[in-house]
Amino acid sequence: MWWHSCRPIQEDNMESNERYARHYSLKGFGTTGQQKLAAARVLVIGAGGLGCPVLQYLASVGVGDIGIADHDTVSLSNLQRQVLFSAEDIGKPKAGIAAARLKALNPEISITTINGAITTANALEIITEYDVIVDCTDNFATRYLVNDACVLLDKPLVFGAISQYEGQVSVFNMPNQKGDTINYRHLFATPPNPLEVQDCNEAGVLGVLPGIIGTLQATEVIKIITGIGEVLAGKLLTFNLLNYQTYAFEITVHDLEAGVLPTNEAVFKATDYEWLCGTKAAGINELDAEAFLRTFNDADAIIIDVRENRELPKADFDCLQMPLSTLTDNLPEIIENNIILFCQSGKRSLIAGQLFLEHYKNQKNISHLTGGILALQEYGQKH
Amino acid sequence: MKVRVIAFGQIAEITGGELFIEAQDTVVLKAALQVEFPTLADKKYAIAVNNKLVTEVTALTENDVVALMPPYSGG
Repeated sequence: MWWHSCRPIQEDNMESNERYARHYSLKGFGTTGQQKLAAARVLVIGAGGLGCPVLQYLASVGVGDIGIADHDTVSLSNLQRQVLFSAEDIGKPKAGIAAARLKALNPEISITTINGAITTANALEIITEYDVIVDCTDNFATRYLVNDACVLLDKPLVFGAISQYEGQVSVFNMPNQKGDTINYRHLFATPPNPLEVQDCNEAGVLGVLPGIIGTLQATEVIKIITGIGEVLAGKLLTFNLLNYQTYAFEITVHDLEAGVLPTNEAVFKATDYEWLCGTKAAGINELDAEAFLRTFNDADAIIIDVRENRELPKADFDCLQMPLSTLTDNLPEIIENNIILFCQSGKRSLIAGQLFLEHYKNQKNISHLTGGILALQEYGQKH
Repeated sequence: MKVRVIAFGQIAEITGGELFIEAQDTVVLKAALQVEFPTLADKKYAIAVNNKLVTEVTALTENDVVALMPPYSGG
């Protein structure tokens, strides 16, 4: 700092990388800030709506080592907001495509891809390699998993989440002004059940929203690394696109999270986050789009749409309509041994599955389409 | 005690945005909200009073601002 404040002109001469010229001349940032970025290792979990702008800015500002974790492939419906991808990328892995784009943008940084899901088996060993973690995921199971792993490893976590026209940003596991260290479980100790909250597939999201929220997340990462400004440690900031209203509140420490947070590595590894979030249930088989389509050839299977009447998109295959709202009163007798359930997003079919399971015990094989008919549509676009 | 209630995300869709409600503490407020908007009972949301998260019964005073904040999952 002393050198920076006393000899700014020579400092400029010290650095000749024109790429970061506007950082060198930026008061309060300079070569010191740039060196800190170059030495930093940042892991971005999820290369979707939030992940794209986060990655783009972290690469352009010169974060030295960036990890990209994503298990998904690019779909047509991603392109409305996931700005790193092009139409020609549909069907290709997001992590690999994102890495190639970032490499073209800034060949001077190192990029690592983790082309698979973050699970309790791999999370700790992946996260431990990085200084700052950025949560750009799109589901509660992974959000709670990443939160808990960062608490165990004491890693700063930059949280971002979006819904329709509104977004949330916060920084966890970094002491706030009072010295308290907050995590997501202080805000919401346990996950909501799937019917309590709609995800982007169901509720929609305006294309520019993740661009804004992701850019705020990237800003927090830069602030954490370089020490400039005030980090949103333990504060939840919300932003509304429609009226530009922001609202921030302080998350407070309390012991409600004590009983729900895994206390050590073994407990963490034994936690089933999908089950905890109600997106998986014992005794009900999960079918991806491909496995679902294979059941069309099974003579002993019946496919049941548990959505309410007239929900779109309409199924373009043979199926029986049994809205979930009618199933709670009386469950129809089914002759076939394999019951295949689906709905819009995979939430209601799982609940219907539990009703069938209660009724038939182990007499029938009950399966449901994960991600619902929306996932089936996306699969259709890619194949 | 009349307090201003602001809501976010899907909770705002239910409550319609800003409200003014008479309540002496957060438990009474929550109950009053659920009488007016029964579907709130099935929703998860955090409560902040004057820009601070509260998790226990908290006394309210005139003109307090109470925020109802649901979790967002999208990314």
